[in-house]
Amino acid sequence: MSAQAEIHSGHDAHHDDHHHHEPGFVQKYIFSTDHKMIGIQYGLTAMIFLAIGFYLMMMMRWSIAYPHQPVPGWMDWMFTSNWKARWLSDGKITGETYNMFGAMHGTIMVFLGIVPLGFGAFGNYVTPLQIGAPDMAFPKLNMMSYWLYFLGGVVMLASFFMESGAAKSGWTNYSPLAGFADGQVVNQFLAGQTQWLIGLVLLISSSLLGSVNFITTIINLRARGMTWMRLPYFVWAMLVTGFLLLLAFPPLESAGIMQLMDRVAHSSFFLPSGLYTKTEGLADLSGGGSPLLYQHLFWFLGHPEVYVLLLPAIACVAEIIPANTRKPLWGYKSMVYSVLVLGFLSFIVWAHHMYLTGMGPLVSTWFQTTTVLISIPSVILITSLLISLWGGSIRFTIPMVWACAFIPMFGIGGLTGLPLAFNLVDMHLHDTYYVIGHFHYVVAPGILFGLFAGVYHWYPKITGRFMSNKLGHLHFWPSLICMNIIFFPMLLQGMAGFHRRWYNGGDAYLAKAADSTNVLAVSVTKHIDLNILMSMGAWTLALSQIPFFINLFTSWKIGRKVQSDNPWDATTLEWATPTPPGHGNFLTEPSVYRGPYEYSRPDCDEDFLPQWVEPKRKTGTETKPNETTPAAH
Amino acid sequence: MEIPYIVTPRKDTGLYNAKIAIWLFLASEVMLFGGFFSAYVFLRLGADYPWPERALPVLPGLINTFVLILSSVTVVFAWAALKMRQWRRFQVYMSITLVCAVIFMILKGMEYNVKFHHQAVRLKDFTVLEGHLGFEEENGTRVKDHNGHDIEENKIYVKASDLTFSTVRYHNAWVKDIIAQAEHEKSKITLSKDIKVITEPGKPAELIAKKGDALTPKLLSQIAKIHLKARAHNSDLKIAALKEEWKKAKKANPSASDVELSPNVNIDMDALAPLLEDEISAVTFNVVPAAKLQFNPRDIAEGATQSKLRDDTVINGELEPSPMVFHYVDAIDFQNLVMKAREKGIDPERAIENSWLIKNSPFAKEAWQWHLGEVAKLEQRLKDKYGVDKNNQPKRVPNDKERYRLGWKDFIEKNKVELSGFDKFKEEFLGPNYEKRGNATFMTFSLPREQVLHASKFTPAWNTYYALYFTITGLHGLHVIGGAIVLGYYLFCGRKMYLSNPEWLANRVEVGGLFWHFVDLVWIFVFPILYLM
Amino acid sequence: MANSVEEIQKAKKTYLMVFAALFACTILTYLVAEWEPLDMGGHGFDGVDATIGLLIALFKASLVALIFMHLNHEKKAVYWIFGGAFVGAAALYLLTHLAVFDPIHDTYFYDGSKPRVIQTEEAAQPAASDKAATATP
Repeated sequence: MSAQAEIHSGHDAHHDDHHHHEPGFVQKYIFSTDHKMIGIQYGLTAMIFLAIGFYLMMMMRWSIAYPHQPVPGWMDWMFTSNWKARWLSDGKITGETYNMFGAMHGTIMVFLGIVPLGFGAFGNYVTPLQIGAPDMAFPKLNMMSYWLYFLGGVVMLASFFMESGAAKSGWTNYSPLAGFADGQVVNQFLAGQTQWLIGLVLLISSSLLGSVNFITTIINLRARGMTWMRLPYFVWAMLVTGFLLLLAFPPLESAGIMQLMDRVAHSSFFLPSGLYTKTEGLADLSGGGSPLLYQHLFWFLGHPEVYVLLLPAIACVAEIIPANTRKPLWGYKSMVYSVLVLGFLSFIVWAHHMYLTGMGPLVSTWFQTTTVLISIPSVILITSLLISLWGGSIRFTIPMVWACAFIPMFGIGGLTGLPLAFNLVDMHLHDTYYVIGHFHYVVAPGILFGLFAGVYHWYPKITGRFMSNKLGHLHFWPSLICMNIIFFPMLLQGMAGFHRRWYNGGDAYLAKAADSTNVLAVSVTKHIDLNILMSMGAWTLALSQIPFFINLFTSWKIGRKVQSDNPWDATTLEWATPTPPGHGNFLTEPSVYRGPYEYSRPDCDEDFLPQWVEPKRKTGTETKPNETTPAAH
Repeated sequence: MEIPYIVTPRKDTGLYNAKIAIWLFLASEVMLFGGFFSAYVFLRLGADYPWPERALPVLPGLINTFVLILSSVTVVFAWAALKMRQWRRFQVYMSITLVCAVIFMILKGMEYNVKFHHQAVRLKDFTVLEGHLGFEEENGTRVKDHNGHDIEENKIYVKASDLTFSTVRYHNAWVKDIIAQAEHEKSKITLSKDIKVITEPGKPAELIAKKGDALTPKLLSQIAKIHLKARAHNSDLKIAALKEEWKKAKKANPSASDVELSPNVNIDMDALAPLLEDEISAVTFNVVPAAKLQFNPRDIAEGATQSKLRDDTVINGELEPSPMVFHYVDAIDFQNLVMKAREKGIDPERAIENSWLIKNSPFAKEAWQWHLGEVAKLEQRLKDKYGVDKNNQPKRVPNDKERYRLGWKDFIEKNKVELSGFDKFKEEFLGPNYEKRGNATFMTFSLPREQVLHASKFTPAWNTYYALYFTITGLHGLHVIGGAIVLGYYLFCGRKMYLSNPEWLANRVEVGGLFWHFVDLVWIFVFPILYLM
Repeated sequence: MANSVEEIQKAKKTYLMVFAALFACTILTYLVAEWEPLDMGGHGFDGVDATIGLLIALFKASLVALIFMHLNHEKKAVYWIFGGAFVGAAALYLLTHLAVFDPIHDTYFYDGSKPRVIQTEEAAQPAASDKAATATP
């Protein structure tokens, strides 16, 4: 034992012996291993992808609203003539093109946009700061995670430039269509569908490495005194997100590899016998595969994935609300247990996406039950956030405005999900616009609002300046209104029977409307004019993001400077660092003395008592709440 | 501040960082391989063809299992040596581990190689033939193709008289190959008519290429450029025209909806026609004289007088007889045919008697008759050994595979040839020794293309079992390579770290060793599931 | 890591015993599969032999996990993480199995009396050889 002890001592600190020289530009900004720089890289890259996904949606909305008109100049200016000749028919969006946009819109928004922004950007930047760690447990692995994500994104985008175009079989990429689409391309590695799979494998690897990093950091690198129940809720949410990514992604990776084999090695994992295509006739395949297997493997990830999207946003909102109501988060303990139960349950609900695949009553009852059960922790979370507002001294800062909007918007999204949980109701609503309305309410005015709130909230810590309030309001109010204009009618259209993925917005049914026995034609026709309203909303929503981008990039230079390291007078550890935090984050090793939301304590002069402030001693100096340490360097 | 707990464990969790990380990573790997093993179960339970049981030679898999188990022990001994600060011992044990990894991959490589050269075909009546295709020979010497390679006797032959290429989709490598083939056949591929293109409206048409010009990749790419330019130009014109029409229509009827207006909003093609450029979307070449071109079956959709390649090249010409020629058939499997027959309620033996193969191959017919005798002997032996139950039914009967599949060992049993012990041992790894056993044991057979339902080497394309086998063992093999690289790094580059911080190196080797054990764990399940079941 | 020199020496002996056990189990697996005297259940390789083989594999895997991977004296957190993965994989498999081969569904519309027939090209267009095959004796 003693031999080991001799060797142990001092070896953790041996790094100090190394000479720290100033890193060059490339090492500081491009191949950085600092979690803060990586977080910013994730954030900016994710925003670019969100913008691209948004653009695809704008084109899709044109096709839905005006299927017979050529795409107008203000939308098609970025495409070359050659591209338009290949993909547009006299300037009109074709079904093939619409499918391509639809599949890539979903893929880009989910895998390249929201997850990297929520988990990669916010998670990376804030988590080590909030637990009092100098960095992530594995900084080099963190860097690799980012670059794998970047590479995956590049591969996905490159597929747009292929002759075959990008993937066009839905963001879910079901076989056998996805196994066959672009099958006529001789070199399969130049086919968009194949590149989608390769990009996905890269993205999944990035997420896996990231989640290993996060969980290890949260378990092992908490500061002294930071017990589990003193963790800010943000960190709990990131921990569960990490586990969801860790355990749910690999089956999709296996499905992706198998589908890749189907395309490249001509196997038949997901291709049944007797497949017949127009171009090939009876397919030259062995058959014997199961398309249903792909669906199960996909949705095994697919459902935890939506909680991966959600939890970072709830994490941000859960930090912003206490800071801006000056009272503790209501029901912290129940929220913690809820998120743990949510994480566990999310693994056993997936087939509610597959009610129409011919499952028997035994198993669809199971999934229906667990799906309804999982609404309970979700409701606990959102209700706790709502009750947290009660009796608070609310400061309507821009982050708070976004966070307050999150609650009802996510509420609508969640509640509209409840009918979908029941397999009987889902028979009518499956693959209709109701589903689209539901999940967009959750993700767009829900999750995205929560993430915007996070941007406005932590911007002062990252840059030392506030974002402009005026531009913030200009960003918020039109966004809120437009989001509702776009997505609320979808719920109505869905109930009327509007199907998903109709590239002409149901236009084909207008001809049949006169025949009143065609129920679908009659109901679709009643709601078809909403298409134009929704598309206008979408294009206006695009305009209302402009104030945000201006705000983001100019406030960095001309925004109002912060007056202290803790401008919001918050209580969590990230506000104990210098602004912006340097390498190693904290000047001295922080210690935690209390819970994360000690606001408005009766025994305290100030209306907040940060986690890192030493308890009052009978004698000696006290630390003022908005100082970082008694003797700052 | 530096990152803590890289070497020393944290007090309350009792773990150092890398250990948590590796267990998390292994948890995700459990899910990954869990996905694959789940797929295995589904594809097996839902298979609509008889699942190949014991299709793989067991010996390489068995040896690989021993090799991996040995490497598992040595890697843990290597870690123990490091903990006890015995550098030499660590080197020895780690080297053995790496050698085991190399042996594993070599054996795996040999297994894969044998399969990639072994051919299988499913006939239209679901008989399955397995064996080795021959190479074209003339008077005992191999005939080479236009590239100087051997010609495997599984090609589709078309006596091409003309070729039409799609200017956008043609595959350059295939065009070059066709040109080389034609040259080899002493034919010329020439443009069938002049290509005149109006490159600028108003100006007379320009001669791009003359009738009789030879086919070259350069010519095609030149035409492709013209096509893309013209296509883009025409598209721009049409888009602008359509936008104009819509503007006019909306101005005329401001209150009407799109749907009402759209049937009447059309581009005036007559007005536009003089402005359009010639898009040459396809270009035809004559093959003079008609040449016998060969194509891989996967690349061509053949027809009696017209065939089409996957890059949309249309070949006009007679389809020549294109049989699949087996120089050695080493298995005849009727299990799939029997399965189909049972579904229809037909007696299996009768279905086999009426199969195309039995009717058209005397060798196969004789072998089948012999096999029936062997099965009867086996039935008797089992009845004698295990007896009958109370309904006077034998307790044990030959299973389907024994009844309906003639494997290579059966053919050898039928036509015993003297081979050395070492040669017989090699057969357990590399399959039967065709040359020494000859065509008396393994028949040659020319299978007409019309009888082929699906053909493939023993690759993932053959059936879902092989797809799973290659995917699972391939992924596992990649993990072996990855783990070996990491462990090799510690072996070859670890001395510096050992001298400065041996505990850190010991921890890293422990973490690497955990990964290695996981790889062994997966193989412990892979071996029985894929090799023995 | 609190492994002292003595503990490691003892552990080495255990490792060698486990190695021998793994070796023996592998041979046993092979024999159960290939050697007729050990052919359990019906003739040839069937469900019984498969179950035995998989149980042996499970035993081997446990030895590797518990002893080589030090799980037998590892922290609780590790058990939860690693064990959780197996639970997850089991859930993936079990629920998918029930969804695809639902015992209730399978008998509601289809009582299993006739074999499932998959339409193939040749079944759809019976050729001459087919007619001969279906001719009654």
